[in-house]
Amino acid sequence: MEQEIPKCQKTISVLWPAFLMAGLATVLFFTAFDPVTLLQETRFADTSRLGAYTVGFFLFWLLTTSSCALTCFFRKPCNPNPR
Amino acid sequence: MSTEKNTDKSTSLYAKREKIYPREVHGIFAFWRSMGVFMLLGIYYLTPWLQWEGHQAVLLDLPNRKFHIFSLTFWPQDFFYFALLLILAALALFFFTAVAGRLWCGYACPQTVWTEIFLWFERKIEGDRPKQMKLDKAPWTAHKLMVKGSKHTVWILFAAFTGFTFVGYFTPIMDLAGRIADLSLGGWEWFWIIFYSVATWGNAGFLREQVCIYMCPYARFQSAMFDKDTLIISYDKDRGEPRGSRKKGVNPREKGLGDCIDDQMCVQVCPTGIDIRDGLQYQCIACSACIDVCNTVMDQMGYPRNLIRYSTQNADEGKPSHILRPRVIIYALILLGFAATLVYAIGTRVPLGLDVLRDRNRLYNETQEGLIENVYTLKIINMDEKTHNYILSVSGIEDIKVIMNRPRIQVASGEVADVSLRVQADPYELKSRSTNINFKLQAADNADIQVESQSRFLAPAGIK
Repeated sequence: MEQEIPKCQKTISVLWPAFLMAGLATVLFFTAFDPVTLLQETRFADTSRLGAYTVGFFLFWLLTTSSCALTCFFRKPCNPNPR
Repeated sequence: MSTEKNTDKSTSLYAKREKIYPREVHGIFAFWRSMGVFMLLGIYYLTPWLQWEGHQAVLLDLPNRKFHIFSLTFWPQDFFYFALLLILAALALFFFTAVAGRLWCGYACPQTVWTEIFLWFERKIEGDRPKQMKLDKAPWTAHKLMVKGSKHTVWILFAAFTGFTFVGYFTPIMDLAGRIADLSLGGWEWFWIIFYSVATWGNAGFLREQVCIYMCPYARFQSAMFDKDTLIISYDKDRGEPRGSRKKGVNPREKGLGDCIDDQMCVQVCPTGIDIRDGLQYQCIACSACIDVCNTVMDQMGYPRNLIRYSTQNADEGKPSHILRPRVIIYALILLGFAATLVYAIGTRVPLGLDVLRDRNRLYNETQEGLIENVYTLKIINMDEKTHNYILSVSGIEDIKVIMNRPRIQVASGEVADVSLRVQADPYELKSRSTNINFKLQAADNADIQVESQSRFLAPAGIK
């Protein structure tokens, strides 16, 4: 059954839901927290808001992508006796 | 039965898929579709340039954390309205899907709209379907390189303008245009212009129908909102079958044929490469190109139109269709309810926020005069477009005294002010250890700008 799913669909099924959820997470996170206040006392204090939003979005995307990829990985059938 | 597909097998960057070359189509639905493309793209590209009361009319000013929408300004505290708006959009999609099927997909979805304009550029430069297929099969010559090169140049320029406009929604576009001209954009602005341009180029130029088929969640769950009365595009099997080619003027009934001349036109115009004659499929974005092209063919053959047409499952089965039905009425009521809530909430929105925080370190003090004192911090957010002075009044206890750390409360537009407050009460006026008190804040120049907030006033045990 696995073979029937095109590679395109497989790749997209990991990256795309991750992208959507990363977008949502970015909006929610930065609505609640102002990056300027968050980074005030750190060495990233010079980062502009736009920069913080961008980096935040890609970090979220990395996180959600890992989660989606792990789901795919664990969905592989376990076969204790490979022939 | 010949099954010439609308496709040509090729290996693309993403996966082995058959490239689709949709044939150009003319007709009433194609006309409305181009009108839709024209209007929606017009709105998209022009909106950021609109000015309103001295600022950009629609500016989602992310760097300054405020959204300007005409005379309204929204702050992160107004997230509630944004959530309401999203719910409203989802409900509207449910409603329109139940009534008119995938109207959104065929006419209004950005993916469809940008794919249409990219297809238009492609046709202007490479020619229609047969020419495109021939060109793709041909070996790489100077001519092919030039044609392909100019297509991509036009695509990329258009995509770049799209990306620039996109960023123009988030940083002032006039300023952005000026800084693009002298190449002094910030790194993040460059990044997002390029990111969005590449996404446009990839989605509208290459991915196209794959976005609808593999990426769109709506395409997958829209069937849940369908019923037998939903508008769909369908092929009249009873009239069309058995399909087969015939000469013009021959009576198909004598040859034992239906009205479908099996010329594959409906397949060739389909942007997702399906055959509508196989029945309703989830790949169908209801763009109605097959209706237009089939009607043209029917006109040429001298047959009645609408072999492929907008229909409902009930109509196909010869039963009456209903527009008003419980599903539609319920969706409509919920939609209206949320729309009214949003309008009411924005209409009665007070551009002032007040949070009262009790001092956590001490429950209460006793002053030298024998009064009980509680300390509070007020967080005052001025969400209006101008500076205001505010008048504070505290009530809930007789003869309550308020001592502020500043002579007056003046807060500039968009600022948050912390006001430290000592509230004193005579123990004889206190009925219990905890009394509810009410803070009321009102703009000095506008009585409509007023908010209230509750807190507790604590006193030692054994009062009275």
